[in-house]
Amino acid sequence: MKLINIIRRNKHPYIFILPFFILFLVFKLYPLLWTIRISFTEWNGMNEPISVGFQNYKDLFNDYMFWDAVYNTIIYWLVGGFFIIAIAMLLSLLLNYKKLKGLKFFKVVTFLPNISAAIAMGLIFGMLFDQNLGIINELLEIFGINRINWLTSTKFSKIPVLTLYIWRFVPWFALVILSGLLKIPIEYYEAAKIDGANKIQQFIKITLPNISRILFFCFIIVTVNSWKMFNESYILKGPGTSNISLFQYLYQSAFTTFKMGYASAIGVVLIIILAIASAIQFIIRKRNAEI
Amino acid sequence: MRSNRIKFVVLICSVFLIVSVFSSFGVIKASENEYPEDVVKDYPEGTVEIYGYGQPQYLLEYYNDWLERNRDIAPNVSIEITQTEGAADTREKITMNSVAGDYESLPDLFYSDPVNLLALAEGDLVQKVTNFVRPLEDKMVDGALNQATIDGTVYGMPASVRPQLIFYNKSILDKYNIDPARMDTMQGYIDVGRELKEKSDGEVYLSYIDPGHYTWRYYGRRGLMPQAEAKIWDDEGNPVIGTDPGAKLAFNTLDTMYSEGLLYKTEIFKPGLYDATNAGKIATFYIGAFWDEFLRKNCQETAGDWRVRPAPVFEDINLRGAPVTNYWAIANKPNGEYDGLVKKLWYDFNFDKEPREVWVKSMVEQNAPYANPISLEMLKDEFWKKPSPFYGGQSFRKMEGEGLVNGAPNLRITPQSAEADVIISAQLERYVAGDQTIDEAIEAMQKNLEDKIGQAESF
Repeated sequence: MKLINIIRRNKHPYIFILPFFILFLVFKLYPLLWTIRISFTEWNGMNEPISVGFQNYKDLFNDYMFWDAVYNTIIYWLVGGFFIIAIAMLLSLLLNYKKLKGLKFFKVVTFLPNISAAIAMGLIFGMLFDQNLGIINELLEIFGINRINWLTSTKFSKIPVLTLYIWRFVPWFALVILSGLLKIPIEYYEAAKIDGANKIQQFIKITLPNISRILFFCFIIVTVNSWKMFNESYILKGPGTSNISLFQYLYQSAFTTFKMGYASAIGVVLIIILAIASAIQFIIRKRNAEI
Repeated sequence: MRSNRIKFVVLICSVFLIVSVFSSFGVIKASENEYPEDVVKDYPEGTVEIYGYGQPQYLLEYYNDWLERNRDIAPNVSIEITQTEGAADTREKITMNSVAGDYESLPDLFYSDPVNLLALAEGDLVQKVTNFVRPLEDKMVDGALNQATIDGTVYGMPASVRPQLIFYNKSILDKYNIDPARMDTMQGYIDVGRELKEKSDGEVYLSYIDPGHYTWRYYGRRGLMPQAEAKIWDDEGNPVIGTDPGAKLAFNTLDTMYSEGLLYKTEIFKPGLYDATNAGKIATFYIGAFWDEFLRKNCQETAGDWRVRPAPVFEDINLRGAPVTNYWAIANKPNGEYDGLVKKLWYDFNFDKEPREVWVKSMVEQNAPYANPISLEMLKDEFWKKPSPFYGGQSFRKMEGEGLVNGAPNLRITPQSAEADVIISAQLERYVAGDQTIDEAIEAMQKNLEDKIGQAESF
């Protein structure tokens, strides 16, 4: 009753947000609940699902391919996340450098990788990292280094995937960080300069604290992106499961081997991981009194 | 006496006249095109939707010409092809449309391999075509219906039955004074590779090896495994790949070629392999008839150098490669108004001689893919024995027909075949990457098949 009364009192705002909730219910919540239900069944997408209880979850924990996919995704998350944020930080500092000539041009060029089609870029990266014809190996040879089996060895196959992932996402994060840098009052730096602080001290004492919230936001987004990675590892596939991502394994289970129940169980695990990431973000922001 | 002669002449003339009149009205012609079902009727205005993979745009050329010839029954019908990534992608699209209840979006016709076709058939998403194709079985190459049949019911119309062939660069073999006839056996084939390696100082490779899943598909499922009479499952569906002597023979043969450096490691269907082939680094391609379009399309610099022969055999087993059959299937749409039309399309494509030959000539000019017909009658025609300039005057089409002789039976298909392929291929890929020996790979295949699938079911 209390809820109905609240809605009745604020009916106009609720009417405004109603379209979102309808779409959310139909396209997000219902599929999510359906996924959870299917994860307890054995289903090939055609016949009636057969209930198998927790069997899919038990199978997951004994499946080396699943663990390979989890391991790879953690690598993509940690290594990719670190480099994306670090390089984006450097790029945004450069783009925030007012004396840089052709600033607008650099801003546009910097953002280009992010708007390039992932699959097309994946194909180009595949050529770059080709063992026999790729330009990367040609360059290595110039420096006297032996050719590397980038995509045909289990040792190196994650590197092309990470490179493409970092290359594609750095621009977006650079712009987000740049928006934070632009909000820092110039007076802070002028005062620090008068106090004798050098550039590194200014960066550590002024820049980082002022963009810490933005960096945290970037970390959360990069976490979500990493766990949802698909295109990069799908196009630049390495031997076996050496560079498969969890999301790709989900797809493979659903649409190559047509084990929909099993794929749904992987989906539920992914949902839990992403829910934890979101919860951490929520708790920290609440603790910082941001919400 | 004279009146008898006159009567005889009149009789002959009358018979001749009747035959001529009936012929001109198409009665005799119609008897040549006896469709097993009533497919010659009026079809409503609309679009026939086809899901195809490979390079289906080339087939569209045939379809459009065919439509023009059939305007009397389909005056306002067009054909549209949706390109899919492969049979699994087609299955995904059909399954998802069906789950969503969007039957209108189902294709009228789709191409499929046997694994995905039988899975869709089990899900009741494919029409039975037994009554349509069974009466034609005697007119088709042997075993054309086998892999589309469950308990006597046929679900697919065979589009091609292609043999496993070995393509060899005659110029390279001549240069090193090697007789191609030695490649009639697997041991001979390996010995040729060794000799090439030695005489060329490692510059020329016997063949290629792909670091991805194609190694299992071509060297394994379609090639060495059936030829070695290998088994993935026993009759009860238990995995036996780890203990089966045939599987051991097949994998060890691959291991011999790979570990001795006879195979050039590069991705198939990628520029690396085209360049190596054009540079004369690859002496043979084994296995599959599809190398024909690969070579014609991408390796024109080597035109005239290539020849074809049937796949080599294991001496004690004496079986050539297992033929690859692809099917056209009709989706189970509630109001499939073009079911009859696509059956007629399939029939004419496979049994109407002249248009097929016109289309093949066009494909040859464009260096585009085509396969031999499945019709035995059509194959008798001289057209299918004509020399091919790309093969230095040898008839590729004739060899494609001869390659089917003594073919090995295909590996058994189960509802778990797609998953088994992923499991087996993952271990083979790790072997090719150098992470494990072939024995370790076989052991891991067995263990993972047991752990992840257990017992395979039957269709």
